[in-house]
Amino acid sequence: MLVMKKLSKIYRTENIETHALRGFDIHVREGEFVAVTGPSGSGKTTFLNIAGLLEDFTSGEYHLDGQNVRGLGDVARSRLRNEKIGFIFQSFNLIPDLNLYHNVDVPLRYRGMSRGERRDRIEAALSQVGLSSRMKHYPAELSGGQQQRVAIARALAGGPRLLLADEPTGNLDSQMARSVLELLEEINGRGTTILMVTHDPELAARANRNVHIIDGQVSDLVHEPVLRAAAAPATATP
Amino acid sequence: MFTYYLALGIRHLRRNPILTALIVVTLAVGVAASMATLTVLRAMSADPIPGKSDRLFTPNLDNRPDDGSSQDPRPPDQLTYRDAIALKNAKPGLRKSAVMRISPVVAPSRADVKPFFGDGISVHADFFKMMDVPFIEGGPWSEADDARGGHVVVLRESMAERLFGDANPIGKTLRLDTYDATVTGVVSDRWEPLPRFYRLVSGPPPFRGVEDLFIPWTTAIANQMQPQGNVNCFSDPPPDAPPGYEGLKQSECVWIQFWVELASPSDAPAYKDFLDGYVAEQRKLGRFPLPNNNRLYDVKGWLDVNKIVSKDTRLQTYLAFGFLLVCLVNCIGLLLAKFTARSGEIGVRRALGAPRRAVFKQYLVESGVVGLVGGLAGLGLTFASLWFLRKQSEEFAVLAKMDWVMLGITLAVAVLSSLLAGLLPTWRACQVQPALQLKSQ
Amino acid sequence: MEIQPILLALRRSKTGAILVAAQVALTLAIVCNALFVVKARLATVDRPSGVAEDEVFQIQYAAAGEIEDRKGMQQADIQALRAIPGVKEVAAVNSFPVSSSGWGMGVTRDGKPGNEIPTGVYFSGESFVKAMGLHLVAGRDFNDSEVREVDDRTDTRVAADVVIVSAQVARKLFKNEQDAIGKTIYQGSGKEAQPMRIVGVVDTLLSSSAPAIDEYAHSTFIWPIRYLGATAHYAVRAEPAQRARVMKDAEKALSALRPDRVLINLHDMQEIKFRRYRHERAGANMLIAVTIGLLLVTASGIVGVASLWVSQRRKQIGVRRALGARRRDIVRYFVTENILITTVGIAAGLAMAVGLNLFLVSKLELARLPAVYLVGGMIAVWALGLVAVLGPAWRAAAVPPAIATRSA
Repeated sequence: MLVMKKLSKIYRTENIETHALRGFDIHVREGEFVAVTGPSGSGKTTFLNIAGLLEDFTSGEYHLDGQNVRGLGDVARSRLRNEKIGFIFQSFNLIPDLNLYHNVDVPLRYRGMSRGERRDRIEAALSQVGLSSRMKHYPAELSGGQQQRVAIARALAGGPRLLLADEPTGNLDSQMARSVLELLEEINGRGTTILMVTHDPELAARANRNVHIIDGQVSDLVHEPVLRAAAAPATATP
Repeated sequence: MFTYYLALGIRHLRRNPILTALIVVTLAVGVAASMATLTVLRAMSADPIPGKSDRLFTPNLDNRPDDGSSQDPRPPDQLTYRDAIALKNAKPGLRKSAVMRISPVVAPSRADVKPFFGDGISVHADFFKMMDVPFIEGGPWSEADDARGGHVVVLRESMAERLFGDANPIGKTLRLDTYDATVTGVVSDRWEPLPRFYRLVSGPPPFRGVEDLFIPWTTAIANQMQPQGNVNCFSDPPPDAPPGYEGLKQSECVWIQFWVELASPSDAPAYKDFLDGYVAEQRKLGRFPLPNNNRLYDVKGWLDVNKIVSKDTRLQTYLAFGFLLVCLVNCIGLLLAKFTARSGEIGVRRALGAPRRAVFKQYLVESGVVGLVGGLAGLGLTFASLWFLRKQSEEFAVLAKMDWVMLGITLAVAVLSSLLAGLLPTWRACQVQPALQLKSQ
Repeated sequence: MEIQPILLALRRSKTGAILVAAQVALTLAIVCNALFVVKARLATVDRPSGVAEDEVFQIQYAAAGEIEDRKGMQQADIQALRAIPGVKEVAAVNSFPVSSSGWGMGVTRDGKPGNEIPTGVYFSGESFVKAMGLHLVAGRDFNDSEVREVDDRTDTRVAADVVIVSAQVARKLFKNEQDAIGKTIYQGSGKEAQPMRIVGVVDTLLSSSAPAIDEYAHSTFIWPIRYLGATAHYAVRAEPAQRARVMKDAEKALSALRPDRVLINLHDMQEIKFRRYRHERAGANMLIAVTIGLLLVTASGIVGVASLWVSQRRKQIGVRRALGARRRDIVRYFVTENILITTVGIAAGLAMAVGLNLFLVSKLELARLPAVYLVGGMIAVWALGLVAVLGPAWRAAAVPPAIATRSA
């Protein structure tokens, strides 16, 4: 599904070079639920941004769903992002002056779908996250957990193959966090690949694979689910 | 997609209301200032008789003395009496008319209207056909009356109403100076060629005032009506010259304007040759001592050489557009502020798959929407400015009027200006790095 | 003062800075020229006509029917006018200064062609100088014996042997006003030049057309000619406080003398000036409106961009405050930044003002812009920028230091 080989990302300012990722290798198979962990500054956000085609990389290879991403122009990348990837952010990032219906509508608009098809998808996505009754409400009227669920609906509406989640429960209390996570597991169960960046070891434990990043490189300790519980404490961050 | 962007643009008017209001007001003020002055400029430079302005000509002959006193390269702008008569009676030219402003005492038969000084012109019958003057009743006087100076008059609609009320004035009489004149026709009030090119020299400013009545040229001369305009005498009359009106007719003083209609603009060189030939003939009789300096101007050329569009008007128009420029630059900054505040949303849209060009289109449309609102506000403000200008002077009362073309231009200028102003902010909006925006919320 | 860090920081927000500087430059260029033109227009409007403007008025009748004894009629009119209480002087005249209708002739020093000075011509059988309240600075007024009579029904020539000229004409032809007295000049040139001897010089007398360019507007002369023409045209000088009443009485008196005459003009000198300069005033008003509008627009632009920067730098401001900056330090930062930008704008604007002026000089015959307008414009725009930035700067100073610890 997602393959990166010897990927590096170097940020250059006037006189400083920062290696955010170096010789990064990763292979995510379809249907996996991967938790990406690591100390702050390790490069996990950069990894997510590159995976989501939000940033370009300096060298190496990146294949998304079999397609080589290198050299693609802005239009092609945007299309890929729109059709294959769904995003969920820590701070929800809903557009405040659009109601829930129109928020979920945004990615569909860039597909050129007919109005009827969009409406069907939006209604399906909102009912999947349990918020169809509040379709006409505005984000400001919802709780944090509800907003995140709308964001998930937005990410799902286009039927993406890969869901990228950046600290999806970071701004939620434990009860809401749990319900969001259950939702993610449900989505994963139906076949969507999920890549989730998180600080929370408990959250990481719920995924079926952990990828740990330190200093821009993968320190992939676990490949098999059976070793997960044993390895988790050893990767506690300083 | 365009309707989607349009809907978003309209919705986002409410966001940042202060900023939006500032943009709208700035745009409105800039548009109003430039459009108001442009309206006036356009009216001033308009062709007063489109379709015919290249076939109507006025001749200027140089009859000044050869004593070094004539320093101006331009020949006199009016004709002498004998030259006007000679040109009228000569064969060349489809139609010809002399024009002289007169101010006879008008004494209507109605007892309730006191005698007053009328404001009119004396012309040949050809004048009406030449200038496409529309009649609502009757028509010009006959050829016979034209030739022998009949006691006839053509009135303007408002004057006819003033003198005769609702009754049909054709055939009725009114007293002009010392004789009774019969009304043969009524000219529509809507005949308002601006500027009044046919009586440009002296007299009221070319955009003000209308003539109320027309009488035959021959009649005016026969009744010794004083020319109500410039009388320029470049040399003193000879000692044996008769005094008064007769002397004026025989003198080298210029006091008559003259217009000739030719079949087509290409006939002009031939008519000019005729003029030069006429002057050469007269030179043999001792007139026209200076070398050939005759001119033949068509309507546009006549307006140009008389500098109808004053420097003041030009200055004001330049300044108004400079003002619009400053307003535009201002809008660029304000739009930049408005769009920068929305970087978060732009980042989200980009993350959700909007290519840069989609963001570009969306924000350009939004600039256009703000521009349309600014344009409508500017249109209202333009109307107000024109109304205010009309109160300033009589000239503006005629010139400062908005027509449909100007209305369209005003809105177009507003929308175009805001699109232009929006280009830079929109381009900047597209450059937003989605990654940066999404983290820092 | 921390100028260098401010400049470095500005490099990151180049666009906003350039926009403000551009607006400042354009505004300066336009405002300097606009105010200059306004001053020129208003100077024209305020020009003294030479006439005693709060005492003199014009009254003119046109005869409906033919008047045989024009001289008798004129004398009766003048007598009737003199009889009105409050009247100081009366004269039959041919035209009024600034009234847009009058006589124009050329004047030469020696009667030779070339170098004719176009002049406005006034004449009266009575004392034009006294009736208009003019000031003689050299020589004397005419004597009764010098008055000539001209009836346009019988006489073709209008001329006299003696003349009073305006100071501008005297200075153009001679060393000074005193030098002109007694000299002979000519009306016209060539064969038909008429000699006339200067007996007096008045200091100011505007022509009837009163063009905007002063060089021609004040070239005038006066003849002692009693003109018997078709209209009855008089200048009446009255006590200032009584002028309005005198005007009404004058109309009644002259209408009574000959009821079939029609009044065509009854205006005091201020009205005459008012009507003549309508155009100049409208133009000046328009320019003033544009200037105010420009200043407001530029101020709003500065406010807009400064507010944007304040909101963009909230975190940075909070950090500075947390590190010990006082409120006034924050305000000083923004004010300094603003002064830097407006100074750059002003520098560019000065060049543009001169450039615009040169363009207007070539296209519209404007005069060159005096330096004082550039200096005045600079100061005005600096002050405007300062006032505009104070609001946002104040709000910046109000940002609490606690912001520093929150995540963005």
